[in-house]
Amino acid sequence: MIRYLLFILRRERLMTPIWIASLLAASIGIAIAFQQLFATPEDMRVMAETLANPAMQALIGPTYGIDSLTPAMLMAQELLIFMIITVAIFNIFLVIRHTRTDEEQGRLEMLRALPIGRLTNPAATLLFAFKANLAITLAIALGLIATNMDGMQVCGAFIYAGSIGASGFLFASIALLMAQLFSTSRGALSGSFALMGVFYIARAFGDMSGNILSYISPMGLGLRVYSFYDNIAWPILVLFVQAIIIGGIALLVCRNRDLGEGIIPASKGRRHASRFLQTPFGLAWNLSKGNFLAWTIGLFALGATYGAVIGDIAEFVQTNEMFQTLLGLGQGDLITYQVVESFISMILVVMAMVAAIPVVIIANKIRSEEKQGRIEPIFARAIRRRSLLATYTIIAAFGSAWFIFITALGLYAGGANTGLLNFSNIVHIALFYVPAILVMLGMAVFLVGFLPKLTSLVWVIFGYSFLTVYFGSLLGLPEWMDRLSPFGYHPDLEASGFVTMPFIVLSTTAIALILMGFQAYRSRDLVG
Amino acid sequence: MASVIEVKNLTKQFGKFKALSGVDLAVEKGEVMAFLGPNGAGKTTTIRVLLGILRASSGSVKVFGKDAWDHAVELHKRIAFVPGDVNLWPNLTGGEVIDLFTSFQGGKHSGERHRERFIKMFNLDPTKKCRTYSKGNRQKVALISALASNAELFILDEPTSGLDPLMLKTFEDCILELKKEGKSVLLSSHILGEVDKLADHVTIIREGRVVKTGSMTEIKKAAHGKSLEDVFLSEYEDQK
Repeated sequence: MIRYLLFILRRERLMTPIWIASLLAASIGIAIAFQQLFATPEDMRVMAETLANPAMQALIGPTYGIDSLTPAMLMAQELLIFMIITVAIFNIFLVIRHTRTDEEQGRLEMLRALPIGRLTNPAATLLFAFKANLAITLAIALGLIATNMDGMQVCGAFIYAGSIGASGFLFASIALLMAQLFSTSRGALSGSFALMGVFYIARAFGDMSGNILSYISPMGLGLRVYSFYDNIAWPILVLFVQAIIIGGIALLVCRNRDLGEGIIPASKGRRHASRFLQTPFGLAWNLSKGNFLAWTIGLFALGATYGAVIGDIAEFVQTNEMFQTLLGLGQGDLITYQVVESFISMILVVMAMVAAIPVVIIANKIRSEEKQGRIEPIFARAIRRRSLLATYTIIAAFGSAWFIFITALGLYAGGANTGLLNFSNIVHIALFYVPAILVMLGMAVFLVGFLPKLTSLVWVIFGYSFLTVYFGSLLGLPEWMDRLSPFGYHPDLEASGFVTMPFIVLSTTAIALILMGFQAYRSRDLVG
Repeated sequence: MASVIEVKNLTKQFGKFKALSGVDLAVEKGEVMAFLGPNGAGKTTTIRVLLGILRASSGSVKVFGKDAWDHAVELHKRIAFVPGDVNLWPNLTGGEVIDLFTSFQGGKHSGERHRERFIKMFNLDPTKKCRTYSKGNRQKVALISALASNAELFILDEPTSGLDPLMLKTFEDCILELKKEGKSVLLSSHILGEVDKLADHVTIIREGRVVKTGSMTEIKKAAHGKSLEDVFLSEYEDQK
């Protein structure tokens, strides 16, 4: 058991520390930012009012402590749910990686042929997850205490971090159970994430209408610690007990099943490839369609969520100076369409960045296929390099328009009942960002052609864009920094024409990048 | 004296699909048993039951006189296993994996010198990450880990499918050496030359049933001058 734990540790010596360090860095960084953002009680009151409406509560959970606000409390209210989600994702990947993935790849078979108990692998994985979550808890708690921000308490910090750690551990147990139920790592991952989504939505409904669903969903429960205010500890304990029970069930299932089997059987496929699948385009689409569908649903839901809060937000914005600065409005501008539309374009630029993620993933698919050695047998047939790259590029380029359109559609569907939204305006703003997404696609194709080992560089541009767009005006960054990112160009709401200068420049850049990528891809070596 | 492996009337059911229906198999101490059969015949399933990682639906499966499922951990201290399709952890080196397996094997293992000897014999670079290994090299890692252990029973499931002819020769020498030391080997293989050179006994399985079993000399005698290949081909093909 200890040996197995060391073995997991050896394999995790990079991944887990990176996660823990990033969580710690994010916690401290955000704590410092909150300390600066909310220097006066007035700032905090304004923020608390933004949060205290059903729509925001659906997004982030319960708000509390209006009577004695501190930056620490605000931070906990806004951040806890996102920390829980992040740590849950970490745990799900961690557990599946060491259990079902190893089993699927046949590595566990070799280990099980050694004098190792049937339960050693799942039990050691769960134990490792427990320790990792303990480390996360301690790191965040101590890190926050060290920032010494206003309203920081030792007890509150441990309650806050404890809720994160216990939720993480619960998701480790859930993932372990899913790894027993599904016979593929893909199935186990999807099952875990689907359950996480159900928990999040159940919590959202519970928090919006203040009912029991908030307590039934572990995600809602994790938010019921009211850290830095009431500091309630029992939800942490309940989460922990739930984790132990689910983990126990997972071990029980594991003990009684055959290696390689799941409880939910893998479905059988077709005997023949359809006509469509027999073309390069058909194959590329087949490999991308799952992604396409999942992101379509996700982005629609994301858009609808923002749409649902638009009424409250609009009302709030007209009374809040900070947001008026953020939106570039003069003092005293009238609410109504103008404010709403500025707000929508602010949301849409963020959405456009999110919508660009699947586009880049699809474009990078050709590279990941290459890495897995699955592209060689294709090029060994009578297929041209550029036609294969073209199929992926075309699918991704279609996605560039599709994903942002779907998001806009969700936004409209979510907020239609407020009567503040104009469908054609939303679509107009949304489509303005298509060239920006195409530039990201261009970057991806360019890297696939020129720097196949560094395709992940495109995510650096994402990070930069998020930073400048999200915090640019708040932190007072110079305009040129904004302009370096493809998402730094915004539609002129007053202008009637659609094709503006940035639109042309971005489109040209995108096309140039794609063409260069194609040229390089044709003449480079395939690398594994 | 009890057989090293003694399987009686083993059946294994996966849902509605019957993978094994009444398999008998016996391996005595110090012998090499070749385990043959076409793809999908149930060789790997049988081996997995022997290793206690699949549970028999019915029948008795004894290794060193003990039930393979109930005493799996204890038995595995005396068993070394090499799968045909070796998959390793991409971010560990070959040397690390060999040490890992040896350490998990527990008991007294044969020590550093033994390990180095086999690494040299199989001409493996143990400092490379497993993700860079070819199929043959991954197989070498599994073979070296097994050979360097102090096991008494070697269960090898198509262990040579990725090896070059030179390495094949090395492998054969190692198996003959094991035999001399009185160790038992269950060798599943498709390479008839290898079987011819190494095996004392042969069991052929088809569609979950044993269709032929006997000593190598018996089989050769009964062949009436036909080549070994023809004998096996007829076993694989007929009764359709």
